[in-house]
Amino acid sequence: MLLDVRDLHVEFHTREGVAKAVNGVNYRVDAGETLAVLGESGSGKSVTAQAVMGILDMPPGRITRGQVLFEGRDLLKLKEDERRRVRGAEMAMIFQDALSSLNPVLTVGDQLAEMFTVHRGMSRKDARARAVELMDRVRIPAAGQRVKQYPHQFSGGMRQRIMIAMAMALEPKLIIADEPTTALDVTVQAQVMDLLAELQREYRMGLILITHDLGVVADVADRIAVMYAGRIVETAPVHDLYKAPAHPYTRGLLDSVPRLDHKGRELYAIKGLPPSLLHIPSGCPFHPRCPMVRDVCRTDVPPLYEVTGAPAGRGSACHFWRECLHG
Amino acid sequence: MPEQPYEPERAMAGTGMGGQMDLAASEATSLEKTPAGPEGTGPEGTGAEDKARSLWSDAWRDLRRNPVFLVSSLVICFLVVISLWPSLIASGNPLACDLAKAQEGSQPGHPFGFNGQGCDVYTRTVHGARTSVTVGVCATLGVALLGSVLGGLAGFFGGAWDGFLSRITDVFFAIPVVLGGLVLLSVVTGNSLWPVVGFMVLLGWPQISRIARGAVITAKHNDYVLAARALGASPSRLLLRHIAPNAVAPVIVVATIALGTYIALEATLSYLGVGLKPPSVSWGIDISAASPYVRNAPHALLWPSGALAVTVLAFIMLGDAVRDALDPKLR
Repeated sequence: MLLDVRDLHVEFHTREGVAKAVNGVNYRVDAGETLAVLGESGSGKSVTAQAVMGILDMPPGRITRGQVLFEGRDLLKLKEDERRRVRGAEMAMIFQDALSSLNPVLTVGDQLAEMFTVHRGMSRKDARARAVELMDRVRIPAAGQRVKQYPHQFSGGMRQRIMIAMAMALEPKLIIADEPTTALDVTVQAQVMDLLAELQREYRMGLILITHDLGVVADVADRIAVMYAGRIVETAPVHDLYKAPAHPYTRGLLDSVPRLDHKGRELYAIKGLPPSLLHIPSGCPFHPRCPMVRDVCRTDVPPLYEVTGAPAGRGSACHFWRECLHG
Repeated sequence: MPEQPYEPERAMAGTGMGGQMDLAASEATSLEKTPAGPEGTGPEGTGAEDKARSLWSDAWRDLRRNPVFLVSSLVICFLVVISLWPSLIASGNPLACDLAKAQEGSQPGHPFGFNGQGCDVYTRTVHGARTSVTVGVCATLGVALLGSVLGGLAGFFGGAWDGFLSRITDVFFAIPVVLGGLVLLSVVTGNSLWPVVGFMVLLGWPQISRIARGAVITAKHNDYVLAARALGASPSRLLLRHIAPNAVAPVIVVATIALGTYIALEATLSYLGVGLKPPSVSWGIDISAASPYVRNAPHALLWPSGALAVTVLAFIMLGDAVRDALDPKLR
């Protein structure tokens, strides 16, 4: 077990009140495994990742409960400077917009080399050579010359490759990629995802892929965790989930993907809006939007039921997961 | 296949940083330059397009073509040279006065005439530049250093230190500069420009501190700071390498403009008799001394005040040009 997040709760104290962004998230990632965390904006998927990385802004954020076990150590109990040594060296993060994630006044070579000078204490010259190697590794043409260029001189896909190179620099055991391809062209998306998947296989890293793109997930993920209102509502191996979702929200998500054989028909959309994190509905947070809502859903918070008769580790936070699964 | 940058507008607007001109635009500028610069700026210009470009090199390219910048920096260079070596263009002694010549007009060898004490106005005006430039530069350096360190730390760490510093800033903002100068400097004995500089730093740092605080707060919320944190950068590294270089531009701009106002303030304080006093040579002292005789000898007032006005204007224009060059939204 590489990473084990247990019962994580995160709140944000705002002027309007307390926003409960993460309400008891559990997930696990093994070495070499890809976990896709799927959810709409505001579902808490990025906040969970930032809490795991330890880069949450506190205040206003606050981790009120839970554990983040990384190779058995609870990261939340570490001191900030111990935590910092874990970041970058053992776990790293890739962000959505690579242009704004790179410092505009430093050359990409300087930023890559910094990983080696800061964490490994290498000389500038050696670090520079490693930076060129890394750029080669993520297939940036003419790396030797481009190492001296600034981020804005690269295209979107190239910048994301550089971010990947920075994250990979110290061969961390875990990489969290927060919507790494959302800002890219569709053709470039595939190249970047392929590169990421290839490097992950090569170094046997754990990968948490945060996304709202069901298409990206199907190709690369081993398991999926679907988040809604700061909770995991369904978790399953990727193909089982696509074949037969066990939560009405997942079903709604899958149904709202445009399909060629449904051409001309009206596109399905889940009715209503995601809940405000300041006022999460009682009972099952999805009940105001759920097509199969019953009385019990309004009062009782569903735990993450184990879905029986399925491969191990499949779960659904729906009181009526059996009905959902079978029809 | 090397991918070409495909979102030039985004690159400019999104980061507020070095704008990437698209290829067509850079071609247009080099074409435009070729007829104007027969000495070969054309090929040289295109060579520069390929080189690494940052906020600063972009700003420098803008500044080089800006007449306001060229004129004001020429004036400032001239001022710096004559304040370092005033005898280059005025070999006389500014303290050698001949009462018999008091208030006399322009004469051969004395182009600006004489003041009320019979001193050569030309020599005194040239020698007065040193005081003004020294006070302006030293006060600005002090203010910029103190203000950006205090403001930068407040913006970076936030919390109680920020609250404390912000209230202190408010208190200093509430002190009227001239009144404060009259009160504080009137107790200083001796005749040196350092108390004047110290007073300006004391009252001036809150202005820069506010700007630096704001700039650091803006810069620290950039994604690249979060990304650097996610890759294990320490707080000092975040501040010095990722935040400070991206927050320094507004400080430079405001400091340049403030330099002009400090020169004017030195003259004001000397005029009021609390800054430098005779036998020091300063434009403020000369303006003060000449004002009672303005009807008989206007030249004794005009030359030092003209020099003061041109100097202040040059620094303010320079600050304006630098601000425009560092603001990618105006590009």
